[in-house]
Amino acid sequence: MKPDDLEDRIARQPWRPIPAEWREEILAAVRQARRLAQTPTVASPTPGWRLLLSTLNSQLSTFLWPSPKAWAGLAALWIVILGVNLAARDTTPAPGAKPAAPPSRELLQALAEQKRLLAELLEPPERPAPVRPRPSVPRLRSEAERRDVMA
Amino acid sequence: MQMAAPEDLERLYDEHAPALFSFLLNFTRNEADTRDLLQELFLKLAQCPGLIAEARDARAFLLRLAHNLAIDLFRRRGTDAKQCAQLAAEPGPLFAPASDPDERAFREALAAALGELPAEQRAVVHLKLWEGLTFEQIAELLDIPPNTAASRYRYGLDKLRQRLRPLYAEIK
Repeated sequence: MKPDDLEDRIARQPWRPIPAEWREEILAAVRQARRLAQTPTVASPTPGWRLLLSTLNSQLSTFLWPSPKAWAGLAALWIVILGVNLAARDTTPAPGAKPAAPPSRELLQALAEQKRLLAELLEPPERPAPVRPRPSVPRLRSEAERRDVMA
Repeated sequence: MQMAAPEDLERLYDEHAPALFSFLLNFTRNEADTRDLLQELFLKLAQCPGLIAEARDARAFLLRLAHNLAIDLFRRRGTDAKQCAQLAAEPGPLFAPASDPDERAFREALAAALGELPAEQRAVVHLKLWEGLTFEQIAELLDIPPNTAASRYRYGLDKLRQRLRPLYAEIK
């Protein structure tokens, strides 16, 4: 691409010079940092949890930076949904459930009666005493014949 | 931690600080930010002298570092593109004062026109026009594809031309 006159003229415009006092200020700041770095410090090291939080913050900032408002809005929406969900949760007992109360006397009697009837029904019936067959004594054949004749 | 020798930093400052100053001033359009970023850059160089020692092209490396620091500053502040554009639109003394009124008018118009460009187009235009870098060098410096660098330059320059052509035709 061949530069035209206007492009060439733009490129020839001189920039404002850097303020002269900056040189000493910046180099002095660097020298001070150098001195601090060389001085042995007795300060306690940064606690691990603080370092972890700092790293987390830095990473999250980098991740969320392109649209922090959108992320914050999404987080707020989730909190609202969670709140609505918790508020709408049914805390009443089931329809059949009643608070426990001591049973009345009539109820206890009815229960006892039912229990007794059930026991009667379930018990096996009284059987008559088994009839013992008389031991059969073998008889003589001739004796039977005699009885027939006499009859 | 081993730090760079003061004389090395002084030499680096004398060689590169004017170019870094104009780049940062054009990119941030804020003199206080430019000052802070320049100091932060030299502190980094002092803390990590190996950084510059390993660089093939010291100027390109320092411009890249300056650009990254400026981007980090915008992120820390949460400065979005709209705020950047508002800041950039405020005219500031970017160019050297000129005694000739036509030249002065052209510089003021150029400063205002640069302020209307998006920051990333402004960075590419600056590196191409005032640092004389190729699109490949600009692409490497800004961590973008060369085609993107070329298109940003073309769009930026077209806008400058549109804005400056009437005045240029008048004073030429």
